[in-house]
Parts: sequence; structure tokens; C-alpha cells
Amino acid sequence: MSGSRAKSLLHLPTQDGAAVKPAARFFAIDPPLVIDPGWTLIEEGFELAREHEIESIFTVANGYAGTRGSLAERNALSRPATFLAGVFEAGEESPAALELVRLPDWTHLRILIEGAALALDNGTILEHRRIFDLQHGALFRVWRHEDPAGRVTTVTFARAVSLHDRHLFFQSVTITPENYTGSVSVESSPDPPGTKTQWTPQAEGDTAVLVGATTRGVTIAMAHRGDIARAEAGAAGEQTSTIQGQGFLRRWTWPAGLGETVRFNRSVVVYSSRETPDPASAARRHLNRVFDAGPDAHVRQHAQAWEDRWRAAGLRVAGDDQAQRALRFAVYHLNGAVNPHDERTSIGARALTGKVYKGHVFWDTEIYLLPFYICTDPPAARTLLMYRVHTLPAARERARKLGYQGALYAWESADTGEDVTPASVVAPDGRIVQVLTGIQEHHISADIAYAVWQYWRATGDESFFLSAGIDILVETARFWATRGRLETDGRYHIRTVIGPDEYHETVDDNAFTNVMAQWNLERAADATEWVHANRPDSWQDVAERLRIAPDEPAAWRRLAGVMVTGFDPRTNLFEQFAGYFGLEDLDLDAYRARTVPIDVILGRDRTQKSKVVKQADVIALSALLWDLFPRTVHDANFRYYEPRTAHGSSLSPAFHALVAARLGDRDTALRYFHEAASIDLSTHTGSAAGGVHIAALGGLWQAAVFGMGGVRLREDGIVLDPHLPQSWTEFSFSLQWRGRTIAVDLTHEPAQVAVTLRAGDPMTIALDGGKPAELDARHSYVAHRDGAGWSDWQTKRR
Amino acid sequence: MVNGINRDSPVTGRHPQGGVILVPLDGSEQAAGALPVAQGLAALTGATVHIVHVSPQAVPIQEIREKLHLATSNLAGAVLDQRTGAAAPAITGEAQRWHSNLIVMCSHGKTDVRQGAFSDIAEQILLHTPCPIVFVPRGRGQRPWSLRKLLAPHDGTPTSAIPIGPVSDLCHHTRAEMTILHISTAAAGPAEDRGGLTAPRYMDQPQHEWPAWGVEFLDRVRAMAKPPCDLKLRTVLCTEEVGQAIVRFAAEQDIDLIVMAWRRHLEPHRALTIRTVVEQAPCPVAIHPVTGEEDR
Repeated sequence: MSGSRAKSLLHLPTQDGAAVKPAARFFAIDPPLVIDPGWTLIEEGFELAREHEIESIFTVANGYAGTRGSLAERNALSRPATFLAGVFEAGEESPAALELVRLPDWTHLRILIEGAALALDNGTILEHRRIFDLQHGALFRVWRHEDPAGRVTTVTFARAVSLHDRHLFFQSVTITPENYTGSVSVESSPDPPGTKTQWTPQAEGDTAVLVGATTRGVTIAMAHRGDIARAEAGAAGEQTSTIQGQGFLRRWTWPAGLGETVRFNRSVVVYSSRETPDPASAARRHLNRVFDAGPDAHVRQHAQAWEDRWRAAGLRVAGDDQAQRALRFAVYHLNGAVNPHDERTSIGARALTGKVYKGHVFWDTEIYLLPFYICTDPPAARTLLMYRVHTLPAARERARKLGYQGALYAWESADTGEDVTPASVVAPDGRIVQVLTGIQEHHISADIAYAVWQYWRATGDESFFLSAGIDILVETARFWATRGRLETDGRYHIRTVIGPDEYHETVDDNAFTNVMAQWNLERAADATEWVHANRPDSWQDVAERLRIAPDEPAAWRRLAGVMVTGFDPRTNLFEQFAGYFGLEDLDLDAYRARTVPIDVILGRDRTQKSKVVKQADVIALSALLWDLFPRTVHDANFRYYEPRTAHGSSLSPAFHALVAARLGDRDTALRYFHEAASIDLSTHTGSAAGGVHIAALGGLWQAAVFGMGGVRLREDGIVLDPHLPQSWTEFSFSLQWRGRTIAVDLTHEPAQVAVTLRAGDPMTIALDGGKPAELDARHSYVAHRDGAGWSDWQTKRR
Repeated sequence: MVNGINRDSPVTGRHPQGGVILVPLDGSEQAAGALPVAQGLAALTGATVHIVHVSPQAVPIQEIREKLHLATSNLAGAVLDQRTGAAAPAITGEAQRWHSNLIVMCSHGKTDVRQGAFSDIAEQILLHTPCPIVFVPRGRGQRPWSLRKLLAPHDGTPTSAIPIGPVSDLCHHTRAEMTILHISTAAAGPAEDRGGLTAPRYMDQPQHEWPAWGVEFLDRVRAMAKPPCDLKLRTVLCTEEVGQAIVRFAAEQDIDLIVMAWRRHLEPHRALTIRTVVEQAPCPVAIHPVTGEEDR
């Protein structure tokens, strides 16, 4: 079978029933899972060179762990990995370069026909298909193979990591000899990945446990149990078990009958010493409970947990199948990236889908991912912010070491929050390039403060705010109050920084950095004054804990008031940094066809001397602080910076889509939306090989909901200003706000907004520039576009 | 044999031992420069060098030897053939007759006045060759040739990876260093073939992305070309004009052989890179004709 006939993941017709039909019995549950083709990504055929990106895209994950979609039997290029969130070990290249720990490959198995391993590259592939069921968080595979002796075997595979029970992973495989009888074996050998963590196998009855000791002192236990299910009673075949180095091998062999389907089930439970003092015992006991509950229960519970998540976070786009599929793909991975029960873990740049970025956490989490969780899974948002609370001591220490007060968060962080940004990189032309982001990209501290404020405003979670969130606001404000300098011009300058546009290093007064710092200072003052005025019982504790001097909030306001922002009221433009307007203007249209980043084409020096922008920088301010500036300002800056942005970062297209949509430029918004959607799913870039771009996926969700849907979260309710692209005939989604759940249904023609309160107390909802309405659960609320604006809400009893 | 191309040739073949390397000579000094390269390749692979001379009429073999200025050392282990008639069909006919693994020749011979990368005869041979051709630079002389450094420009597509597998055997055999040169110009779009990989569109954090891209690029080369497992490959990325980048790199790095896939188009304004490299490269250039999808 030629891989060249494989279909694009995004362009699959939604009603391809034949492609998913065999999925009915992937898991041995009755009734079987119903797989909706519209909720699947299907890779038809086999293309060895694409294997790494397929593995990333088809990762099954639950926020506790993620297992790449590698072939169970592996091939020459397989890069199997199961990442355990929040647990780091010394890196392969350097002990100081921490990377996310990889567990033994629990999916690994070999199928032997008359002693010869079944392999894609030995014989003829008659049929090969991988089906990623986004709705149920499961990966299926159908493989029909003729070996060199002419024996035809059909094998199906299914795997998932449970969303209901995050410690549990499971796999089910069926083997059917179509035209022969003979000896068939399954070998299960979950071998360790060969990293710095040392593994020791322990066998006890039917259960084998691999116990690992990381270089950071964490113990991990992985308990395995597999069994064979044959319809023919009394012919179970033979079983052998061997310890092999740091792993083990179990083999089941049976005399296969013509057309007889035999099923192999494997369940795996993982614990670490971060959760329990004796992970091996906990894993064994947990695994026994899974088996005691019967073979069906965990599959059903997992599928149900996913269906529940989709009810909270699903989106429906009618009229644009690619957008629909891309959004489901995004939401699947966003849900799989987070564990709401572990507040010492955040989300790395490739989540749990690939080893690139080593699991390191950036500003991406707070700016690009958190809004999704705030709106669909507030407990998950809280745990992500708690990671920043737990790493606050490291941020304080970092600020202190650099001579500042307060807290400076690391550009890249791992388990403790210390900075783990590499100091240099060897470029592909052999040059060694110094990496300055770890030294100069400080806006991350304001970004985290921004996220805290947004979470508080949207959830009203006062216990978090008073016990932890305010600490971040205050400490980051203190950092900004010392990071810059009040200079002789009477203005507060922040020099020697890198903004989101990392093409321009060592710049002064980057607009994004300074405006976010200004915002940070003002919100910290607001927060302390609010607690003082409204929560006097808590104020004493907060003031003592943070040693807030009486004049501190006022000092923050004074500095914010004289902060240099680069804004020129005559042009409505922000100057991206001091001197930017004097740089060389290049026509980026001349470079549109390129695949390589523009700084590689132009060279670092010329790029720095030009106005070419790597990613949304001033435009990111529009995305984050829309209500702070009038529309004319957003419009002027978008029109100025958009043509100068080269989108050398995967974060950039989604924010451009968001801002373009808010400005009513639907065509531009849709173009950028699809650009963002194709980052991982394009069949021609291979960019997902090292893992999916989780922040770009979060940005895609924001582009849809905050851009096309026009949602803005405020502390007094939700404001809507939808701008659906022409092709999106309908767009529906759900949101949570301060304990309420609302459903939003938008149609393009006629332009209509319908809002329903599904759960919670009445709340305020408004259309941009229109009258607010008090939304209650007994009515639905509908408004129509009326010329340039919106009609008043019309209510209808539900 | 795929589309008439024998992929088991010494330079482009899986089985380096045996076979025939055809060397067309016309008595000119520049054509004679092909002989040391052919002999070097034959020594590496165990192939037999067939020197072929095409003339209007048959002449005694000793006369041919004198006309071609062949010393005894030139003839050691070689076969001397002659053919009559038009040069290009005679040479490609010989290559077919012997199932030649390779033709080693100069792009211009004694009677060629045409400027550019290929003479009329060379162009006709290239268009109808049943096997890869190694073009040696004009004026390379009789210096001995050996393989220490090989350069394989690769645009990231499975098609352009086709020659890499076979020559990697040769590098493995000789312990020669093999560099995969990926050139991505401002005008280069994404790879159209599935499985292709070009320079990365997004470079979020170079300290993580560049090393990862380099590993992925070589992994895909390995997947497509299947070189020996322990062969060390290195990737270099350039962004200047493709032909000039290859020529410059070959000169700077003292490359002994450049290996390139050629999609069998030689119309005006096509194969511009091949033309530039053959015309300007300081070392022999192996052209491996491929026809794209069917060759995979």
C-alpha cells in the first residue's frame, strides 16, 4: 500500500463510515463504542517518513500522562514515549538540562506468526489505517497483512489513557489468522526508554511492576497485567515470563484456528512518589481493583469522562468542516494536557505529546492556554495557576539574584520554577548562537499576573485569590517597580528586554512589556485596595504575609502613570520599542512563499535592523487588553503591524485571527484561523514531529470563541460581539462564568445571537454597544444584527 | 530496475561489487579527466571500466589507444570498446548493452563548441541514459580521485532522497563523510510530496527547535533513503540560491563528489540547479535520473 495515497487529516470527508466501521469491536465492551466519523482523524496507509508527526498528533493523554501514537510493534523510525507530567529527570545531553521523564513503553508488543514477527516492512500491507477518536480519547488501528509465506493476518489495536482514572492506561489487541492455522504468540515487553532514570523489574503473580528512580529523587512505579481471551475454552495456550535487563518480557502462545479471533488485553497503572510514599504497592492495589471491577468498567468510565468534557468544552461549526475538525483536535489536546488534580504541574510547550522543549513551561500556558480552561474547566485553570504559586519562591530568588525586588518568573521552567533556558544553540549552519530570552524576556511575570487577574475576574474564586493569587500580583508588581528606572525625563523606562517579537533583542521600552508591566502595577494596587476595603478580615493576613507597606500601592500607581508605552495619540500607534519606527521597512510579500523563518533568510543582523516582527507583539496587546483602548487604536495598530509580521512563531497566526475578527475583518480572520489550524495538521510541514503546538491550539480556541464568537469576559458578566466568517453558517459553544454555564449559538445569515443559561444563578450578558440583559435559566435570549449594531435582546420562555 | 534506471550501480547502487562503468573518451584532454574518477569508483566497487570510443568508421584498436592517449596504467583492468556512428546513441546503447551501472564523462568533448553546462552530445546522453551519469569538471586533468567527502543536496522530498541511499553504501564502505545540504531559499515553498520536510516554518524558540529539526530531518532522510544504520550523516542548511549554494559549499568543504537527483526535465528554464552545479562545481557531479512518485 502506497503511503502517497494517504489522506490529509483535515480534509477527510466527515461521513466516511466505511473507514471507521471495524472500530466497533476495538474494545471488548458491549454495546460497542459508537464512533462518529466526524470526530475522527484518520491516517490511511503508511508513510514511514511521517511517523513522528503521526505519533504526536495521535497521542492519547489525560494530563497525568501522555502516550505517543507509536506503532505497538515499532518500526525503524518509531519514537515511542509516555511522558509523566511534572516529573523531570536529568537530560540526555546534559544533566543540567532537565527534561520530562519518559516511562517504559507500556504499549510495546510483538506478534509472532510461527515464530516470525509481524512487521509492516516484511510482506505486503493489505490494509492499514489509524483512527483517532477525539470524542472518546482513544487511538484505534486496523492492520491486515500478508507475510512472505502468504499468511494473511488481521490485527486491530486500541489504546487509551483513562480520563476517569488518570493512573490507568489500557490497550486491547485482536489477532485473526484469515487463511491459516498455526502457532501465534504475543510478546509484551515494556522496556525502559534508556534515559537517566534507572528501572528495576519486580514480578508478583500475574502482575509485573517496573520501579524507576529518577535523578531528581522521584520514584515511579508502573504495574502491568495482561491476559489473553479466547472463545475456545480450555485452549488458553502457554505463557512465559522473563526479566530482561531493566524490563521484562511476557509471552502468550496459542495454536490459532482458521479465522479465530483472539484478544489480548493489557492494563497498566502508574503512581509516583509525588502522590504516595509507596508507589509500587499503590500501583499493584489499584491494578487489582481495576481487574476486580471487570473488563468493561474502565473503558466505559473513560469514554463517559470524555463525553462529559465535550459537553463542557465542545464547539460546533457548521459550514466549515476543516475548522470544525481543527477545533475538535485542539480541544481534545487541550483537555488531554491538563490534570486538575495536580497543582504542582503545568503544561509544557508540546504538552505530553513529544520530547521537544523537554516539557519546559513558558508564558504560553498563561496567555494562550489558560483562557480555554477558565471558560471550560475552572478547576484545571486553578491548578495551572497554583503551579505558579508553588514556583513563586524560585521566582523571588531569581529577582533577588538579579538585583530586583519581588518575583521574576523563569522564561523556561520545569519542576521547581528555576530557570532552565539553554544558554546557547548550534544553528543548522553550524554557528553557535547565544540565547538571550532566558536573560531578557521578562514580560512573562506580567503575563502570569494577567492570568491570575483574568481567572479571578471570570471565576470569582476568592479563596484562591486571597490565599495565593494576590501574592503573584503583588510580587510581580514589586518586580516591575524595581526592574525599570525613573529617568531624568520624568518617565519610567524598562530597558534591555526582549518582547514577544524575539527577532529584536536587547531593546528598550518594548510596548508589550511596558504596557503589561503598567497593567500589572495598576492591578496589584487595585487588588490590595480591594482586599483592604472589602475583605478587612483577610487584609491583615494578606498584608502581613506579603509585608505590604502602606504606601506601596500608591507608589505602583505612580510608576504606572509615568510608564513609557510608546503610544502616540496623533497616530494611535504604539511604537513596538524605542527606535523601532526608524528601522528599515521591508516588503514581506516578497518572501511569502518561503517555508524558512525570515530571520534565517535575512540573517540575524539585518532582521534586527528591520521592522520585521516575529509574532504578535503590539497586536498581542490588542488581544489581551481589548477593553483598555478604543477600537481605533486596535485598528491602527493591526493595520500597521500585520503586514510587518513574519509569523515566525506558531503563536502568531491565532492572535492575528482573533484581533482581525474583533475588528470585523472576517476574511483576514479566517485566513489566519486556517493558518493556525494547519500548524500541526498540515501534511506538508512535519512541524508536529516533536509534539503538537499546544499553545497554538489554545490560540485557535481563543480565535474562535473570543474572535469569531466575540466573547469578552468581564467581572460583571459577558459581552458578545460576534463576527462569523461567511462560511461559518452556525457556531455554537459553551462557557462557564462564575459558576454559571451558558450556551451560545450564533448564526451567520440571518446574523443572530442566542444565549441560554444552562446552570447557575442569573447573570448579565450584553452585546457590544447594546443594552445588557439579566439572563435567567427560564428564558432563552436572542438578538439580531440590526444594521451596524445589534437589536435589543428578545426573550423567549424555554 | 526502475523506469530503466539501474539502481544497483556503484555510485548509486546497493551492491557495490561488480558491474560496468562506462567511460566515453574522444581523445580530448578534458574528456580524459573522467578516467581517474571512473578508475577510483571502480576500485571502490569492484566494477570494470569500459572505455568506449565512438568514431565515424571502425579503426584498429591500437590506433584508438593512441588517439585517446591511453597509457598502460590507464588500461589496467579496463576494457577498450569502439562503436561507430553518432556519439550519443552509441554511448547510451553501450550503457544499455552492458547494463552499465554508471557513465563517467566530461560534459564537453573535443568537438563541442556549445557553451553552458552540457554539450549537445552530453545533453543527448543525459536525456536517454539508462543509468546515472557522473560529470567531471572540465580541466580536472589526470589527478587521481578518491572519495573522502560526499555532498548530497536534498530538498526534503522523497524523490530527491532517492540517490542518497545507494551512495550512502559507498560512504559507509569508504568511511567517507556524507553531508546532506538542505537549501531553503526565500522562494521555496513547502514540500509537495507527502513525507517531505523542508526548513521549519515556525521557530518558536530556536534553542529547542533547531536541534529538533536537525534530528527530524535526518530521521526522514534515513526513513526515505535507508542508509546503513551506523553511517554518520550531518545536515547543513543554506538559504542562498540553490545552485550557487551547492557550488560554494563543495568548494569550501573540498567535496569529492556531489550526488543529485534529476527529474528528467532538461527543457530551457528547467534543471537550472543541475546546470549550474555541473558547469561550476569543482568536483565530479553524479546525476541520478528519477521520475518522482513511481520511483518511491
